[in-house]
Amino acid sequence: MSNQAHNALCAWSLTISNMKLKLEIKGKTYDIELTEFDEKVKIEVNKKEFVFNQKEISKEKRIKVAKSYLPQKRDFKEKEIKSPIAGIISEIFIKENQPVKKNQKLLVLSAMKMENEVISDFDGKIKEIFVKKNQKVKKDQILLIIR
Amino acid sequence: MKVLHFKTVPSTNAIAKKYKKAPWTVILADEQVSGYGKGKRFWYSPKGGLYFSIVLPKTKIEDLQILTISSAFIVAKVLKENFSFSPLIKLPNDVLINQRKVCGVLVENVVSKDVKSSVIGIGLNTNIKSFPDNLKNKATSLEIELKRKVPNKKILNQIVNNIRNQL
Repeated sequence: MSNQAHNALCAWSLTISNMKLKLEIKGKTYDIELTEFDEKVKIEVNKKEFVFNQKEISKEKRIKVAKSYLPQKRDFKEKEIKSPIAGIISEIFIKENQPVKKNQKLLVLSAMKMENEVISDFDGKIKEIFVKKNQKVKKDQILLIIR
Repeated sequence: MKVLHFKTVPSTNAIAKKYKKAPWTVILADEQVSGYGKGKRFWYSPKGGLYFSIVLPKTKIEDLQILTISSAFIVAKVLKENFSFSPLIKLPNDVLINQRKVCGVLVENVVSKDVKSSVIGIGLNTNIKSFPDNLKNKATSLEIELKRKVPNKKILNQIVNNIRNQL
């Protein structure tokens, strides 16, 4: 591997052959594996694979990769609660700015006579609610944000 | 089949939700004092009827949606095979005989990122002699239709076994 490519890839300047490392950023762990083969470099971040041909690595590409990989700040603080299935919001138990506990009931989503109690999976505060009672929602529609 | 038999409960679904770690447990009650259907609508549940809930194993939400409908079909099939009725399924979750409701099915899930727990509750009007005036034109029972008692346990076993084969 040329020095230039090496520097472009690894700002922390380590020799790549087959390297595994764990990075912990604000409580979230990232499993990173770097492998070199056939003049190419493979980077796996949490099982997502990216393969680079060393010769093609330019500064622009490096910046692009870095941007797409660094989780945005909000990911650590906020969480979107999405609709697990298409249906109708039949009950809402919480209000904006209300603190909520893990496993607390947030709302009920009715779908095909099936009642789904949506609960919070962590402690936080309701930042925003995007739905109203009796509103139809699609699968994966964002219902509310907890931070 | 593990059946927990209660004399009186608020609702069998409410009890079943507490047994999420023991899938296929059946909660059976002689009567429900706060039996409900969709939208927490009251389900008349006096002694004599068959009221039970099944704790379901972890399943994808899409499969549970199909289960509501298939359970109504299963109840209709059991009634047809045992008593030669021609029940009508009011999609997706009610079974009617002679245009009157004889059975209701209610699946309730707790979800966050994935399904945390699921129960299916079935209320079947088996040995109910008569209904209050406000329900007389909407509800019926097997006893009213057949003019005889029916074996609740046998019907329960058939329905639960058929549902088990669905998942």
